[in-house]
Amino acid sequence: MSHDPRKPKAFRLSQDEPEQAASRKEEPQETPRPRAKTKTASKARSPRALPAPEIEFDEDSGDQPLVPAVARDHTMQKRFKWGAILVSAALGLASMWAGLAATRLIEDLFARNEVLGWIGSGLLGLVLLAALAIIVREIFGLMRLKKLGTTQADAARAISADDARAAEATLSDLRAIYSGRADMRWGMAQLKDHTKAIMDPADRIRLAERDLMVPLDDEASRIIARTARRVSVITAVAPAALDIALVGAQNLTMLRELATLYGGRPGTLGTMKLARMVAGHLAVTGGLALSDSVISHLIGKGLIGRLSARFGEGAVNGIMTARIGLAAMDLCRPLPFLTQDRPGLSDFMREVVKFGDGAAAEDKPEK
Amino acid sequence: MSSLLSGIINEARNAAGGVRDFATGLVSPTLRIGVTGLSRSGKTVFISALVHALLHGGKLPLFTALTRGRINRVYLEPQPDYDVPRFDYETHVEALTGDDRHWPQSTSRLSQLRLTIEYEASGLVARNLQGSKLHVDIIDYPGEWLLDLPLMNQSYTEWSAATLAASEREPRKSLAKDWLAHLKSHDPAAPADEAAVQKAAKLFTAYLASCRADDVSLSILPPGRFLMPGDLAGSPLLTFAPLAIDPEQKAADGSLHALMERRYDAYVSRVVEPFFYNHFARLDRQIVLVDVLSALNAGAEAVKDLKSALTDVLGCFRQGANSWASAVFGRRADRILFAATKADLLHHSSHDRLENVLALIVEDARKRAEFAGARIDVAAIAAVRATREATVKQGGETLDCIAGIPIKGEELAGETFDGKAEAAIFPGDLPDDPHAAIDGSLEGELKFVRFRPPLIPAQGAAAANATFPHIRLDRTLEFLVGDRLA
Repeated sequence: MSHDPRKPKAFRLSQDEPEQAASRKEEPQETPRPRAKTKTASKARSPRALPAPEIEFDEDSGDQPLVPAVARDHTMQKRFKWGAILVSAALGLASMWAGLAATRLIEDLFARNEVLGWIGSGLLGLVLLAALAIIVREIFGLMRLKKLGTTQADAARAISADDARAAEATLSDLRAIYSGRADMRWGMAQLKDHTKAIMDPADRIRLAERDLMVPLDDEASRIIARTARRVSVITAVAPAALDIALVGAQNLTMLRELATLYGGRPGTLGTMKLARMVAGHLAVTGGLALSDSVISHLIGKGLIGRLSARFGEGAVNGIMTARIGLAAMDLCRPLPFLTQDRPGLSDFMREVVKFGDGAAAEDKPEK
Repeated sequence: MSSLLSGIINEARNAAGGVRDFATGLVSPTLRIGVTGLSRSGKTVFISALVHALLHGGKLPLFTALTRGRINRVYLEPQPDYDVPRFDYETHVEALTGDDRHWPQSTSRLSQLRLTIEYEASGLVARNLQGSKLHVDIIDYPGEWLLDLPLMNQSYTEWSAATLAASEREPRKSLAKDWLAHLKSHDPAAPADEAAVQKAAKLFTAYLASCRADDVSLSILPPGRFLMPGDLAGSPLLTFAPLAIDPEQKAADGSLHALMERRYDAYVSRVVEPFFYNHFARLDRQIVLVDVLSALNAGAEAVKDLKSALTDVLGCFRQGANSWASAVFGRRADRILFAATKADLLHHSSHDRLENVLALIVEDARKRAEFAGARIDVAAIAAVRATREATVKQGGETLDCIAGIPIKGEELAGETFDGKAEAAIFPGDLPDDPHAAIDGSLEGELKFVRFRPPLIPAQGAAAANATFPHIRLDRTLEFLVGDRLA
């Protein structure tokens, strides 16, 4: 590749106040500039063939180990195309019907009594306003959830290609996600402290993971362990007809808690979407997770199952819940696991099979 | 025959040392860090800064053990070896922080330092048997001596031939003029004459010294003690020189050739081998400091010379993954960091390119170590960062500069600095393609100016917590020591 050499130069700074003079020229350190990707030719040069003013460097990765982005299932969207049309058409019809019904109601009210009509209109306005607020909130929730995913992809790129721009994008995303949170203030302060140091983009991401993700990971593990334990107890003691609904509700709560913890704050739709993503994630990584100390699961299940069929079911549901939780953690965590160990299913095994006295006692202080 | 025998003896020496290390390592684990670098590559500053940062709890975000609070205490241990001087840490720090702050003088003798790190160990053995302590042994030595290591594998005849062949080429040829003229005046087969030997050694030493000057900055200059004799100055061990001899010819008894050969052999067996086997044969970690920027200042010849010098020197070290047998046969360096020092002399946006040039320079050494199974990293570092970064807009273009106080007498573009005024320097663009550094297309395009050490408070309350600014020293520490503090 041709390069465009620039001669070495010296710029003498004011002799009287070297400190001040320099600080005026010093570039703002808060946001380290991304490495030069483009080069502009200077004007005061002797005539010669100049390279194109913009050189796009390909993002060829060096010999850094590649960090795999989290596997996502892309087949889901395509399969539901007709279903989506059906649902949206039906929803359209329903909303038209609702609009018509509401208009008629208001008209009827006005026909009967003007005061009633105004009250009805007011209530309808409130209904619309609330619906709008909910929709906006859901949209924001979905966007936040999506942002977690894109941040994760950026971080993976920054690590594997040592790409300064991707690292900068990741860090500004992280700042946007966590800046308002009181529990992250210490981590953010640490991170801000390090922005001035010169380091490699990949190291910046690793540092961010250590400063920001560690407390969140601990909390996420606690949430998963708690839910898994609760699910196994519920399965064991709840009446057979109810337990599926209860376990499902517990799982959805866990997903929501996890997403909120990592900065997603999803609404109902967001939680549903996350549940779908988790299902897809589990479908993709299922084989992988199966090999993860499956023997110990079977043994654990066999022992408990022999003691009581209900307890055995409880253990299985608990393990499943832990697995769902781990998948959700993978999806919601804005950074891939780099310096920290990814918690495995075996970390929660003990929680799941520990019934009775321990479970109830330990459950409380964590809430 | 004799080389085979000495090989066996040396291996036995290594194995004996290995067993001793293993035994002492059980109760007081020691990490031997080999700070490897040719002269003026910044070994002394690196060691001082590293120790200073650890002792004062410097800002080392990437050094996980420190930031996670797993390190309880770091202190300097009394010197463990009776016959090796202590690394004069206090004086070096004083030089860096004192009123007339300057970089430490070049090292003239070997010295050693033992640093003890008390940490929260997680292992059962580490916690109970080893008292959660890790000793870090670092030695400092004149970089010139390192150039002697390849001599262990060369006979006098081979060395003479190589040295003479090198001196036939520019830029060495003009520098070696006097010595070559004297060389022609005597016959290797003539009876030994001490006065002639003295003269030859003196001229040869002068030639080596002239090759080191800033504008030439060559690296391959063995024997290293000629340049930095330590306490051997004037002894017969340092009184020999290469001769123009026929490789087939055996040295006749009493001839000049025989005398020179005897002294060369004595030099290798009494100076080089003890230096290597006592200090470098059993390293746990190695950091190779390379002053790429000075070589770039001097031009393509200097870079090429640096490349082959490093390849030769690093070929002598035992590197690679350790196995259970390493405990018996001596350990190998299992992590090697190639560091381009003085990275503060250019803007951080060029550090990638600097690392690429370094990777090219150490290419062969790196391949060899990687093949042996060692973990490798390449980084641009500055143990003590003397500059700040700035951008200067001039004539419609933005120049990424570094600002600091250049050392008195440094020159750039016709301007000479006085060592007092601060200046912003644009040192030129490093090439995208590192091969430009050795193909000569960069001549005169780059100029890296040396700066005075940064000003940090040396007295008063602020001094206790004042640490040197640095570039990637934390990453270096994490790579070299981090895993042993887990």
